[in-house]
Amino acid sequence: MAMGVLVVGSIGDIGLVGLAQRFRGQDVHYLLTGQGDVVQLGRYGVSRVYQLTTGIDEYSFSETLTDLVNRGSYSIIITPVNRFYRTAVPMAAQRLSAPLLTDVIDVKPIDNELEVVLNSFGNRAQVTVKVTGRVLLMAPPARFKPSENPVNASIEPLQPRVVNVVKVVSTEGKAKGGVRIEDAELIVAVGRGFRRREDLKLAFELAEVLGAEVGCSRPIAADLKWLSEDHWIGLSGRRVRPRLYIAIGISGQPQHLAGMMESRTVVVINNDPNAPFFRNCDYGVVEDLYSFIPVLTRRLRDILKR
Amino acid sequence: MDVVVLVKLALDTGQLRVSEGKVDVESTPLKVSDIDRNAVEEAVRVRERVGGLVHVVSILKYGPIQRRLQEAEGLLREVLAMGADDAYLVADEALIGSDQSVTAKVIASIIRRLGKYDLVIAGEATVDGYTGQVGPRVAAELGIPVVTYVRELRIEGSRVVAKRDLEDAVQTVETPLPALVTVTREINTPRIPTLLQIRAAVRKPIGKLTLADLGLTLKPTIKVESAVPMQVKRRGVVIREGTVDEKADRLVQALIQEGLLTPR
Repeated sequence: MAMGVLVVGSIGDIGLVGLAQRFRGQDVHYLLTGQGDVVQLGRYGVSRVYQLTTGIDEYSFSETLTDLVNRGSYSIIITPVNRFYRTAVPMAAQRLSAPLLTDVIDVKPIDNELEVVLNSFGNRAQVTVKVTGRVLLMAPPARFKPSENPVNASIEPLQPRVVNVVKVVSTEGKAKGGVRIEDAELIVAVGRGFRRREDLKLAFELAEVLGAEVGCSRPIAADLKWLSEDHWIGLSGRRVRPRLYIAIGISGQPQHLAGMMESRTVVVINNDPNAPFFRNCDYGVVEDLYSFIPVLTRRLRDILKR
Repeated sequence: MDVVVLVKLALDTGQLRVSEGKVDVESTPLKVSDIDRNAVEEAVRVRERVGGLVHVVSILKYGPIQRRLQEAEGLLREVLAMGADDAYLVADEALIGSDQSVTAKVIASIIRRLGKYDLVIAGEATVDGYTGQVGPRVAAELGIPVVTYVRELRIEGSRVVAKRDLEDAVQTVETPLPALVTVTREINTPRIPTLLQIRAAVRKPIGKLTLADLGLTLKPTIKVESAVPMQVKRRGVVIREGTVDEKADRLVQALIQEGLLTPR
């Protein structure tokens, strides 16, 4: 199956070249957004770089990408995951009449077919899909690691096709809690079991003793706004994979579980013995968090000498 | 103003059925995708402000069709009870397991058949696939502007003004109608219909269609080979008995044994 592979993203998304390399013997080209070291891309076998230095909106990006895919006859297009790409890439896919598979874990080219493994069903299942023909793949770049395979990369500036249909009136930055919860090794996560915002300090004290980051379920960030959205763990929030996940006062809705399934050890503390989270934990404690957390924190402080 | 709202009858992933190590899609129940309830709520609110009609469009993606039809109709009655005026359900073997390019073509075909529409509303993504593709794809297919991740929506004359929720920023945008918007769960709180509204919904029309009715023939581009549930083995040790101190001790001992804590 003849197929050119086009990777799309900033220089920080270079991990996706690792996925592209699984299509052995294929040319890998890169649509580079913003500035970046082309030599670094060449080191991982990228032979051609199209550089797009002007920032454009999703609609214009989808047009620009569609043009480039048609011009280069690419059959495999690989992109990172964020709200910009989640908007622009499906539009391009529709213009190309091609499927777009998201949350991709692995690919196996077999003869003239392609087998793609992805997370789906609310992150509850690994689905294997067979594709013939052109396909777009979306995946988190950190999942892959490219190997070195130095070539001389040529570079070509890419002129965007700008289409002004949606006008941006204003943009305001969001408050940030300064956490990168997706990289945390230890997480203390809080939910609606906390009655007041001030009470979260119980969780923050526990997290401090453990050296953990504090995460939360959807209502705490999205509805109550007690914590900024970078703490939010779940299907629409961040996906985490810590060594230890302590969920306090979180009932365990599927959308929350989808964000923390890959945690190694899961501890659940809840006063409701019927909370669904108890069916998905390694250790559970049925107890009122207000009486339990201070005792647990004190005990840990003693043994960890912090 | 006529509003089309896209509703996915999603797999209830909280109740995934498993047999012989594979997800048994056919016996897993469906539900109205949570975020689509926000889409319906917003559509009904728009109609309450400016008048018009709310049409629901839904594509059955999971078989077996004969058994699912009744289940699908029951779920569509739920959103009709929220205030939508009528619903269109496309059920066809060729759509079971098809990819979203096909779904989008079918949806666009129904919307064009409606003749008049001003606004299309969808959820930012569905709770089963969570790919968020169908909204932008339908907009591309219809050749209308798309505004995704909307958490605040205003209609001003023949324009839509929306606040978009992005990773690091909130963006205010405007675009002419007709347009397609996808909404987040933060945009509103979906109403719970009253008994009276539930009864009234029984009489609202649900048009059932096949691809032949729409004059469409579509080629599948993907084939789902298998779906294996995530194998996460949890110990499931739940400490229920004892005083607070005893429970804390047992938990700490367990974490030490797991090598997660090292006493100093």
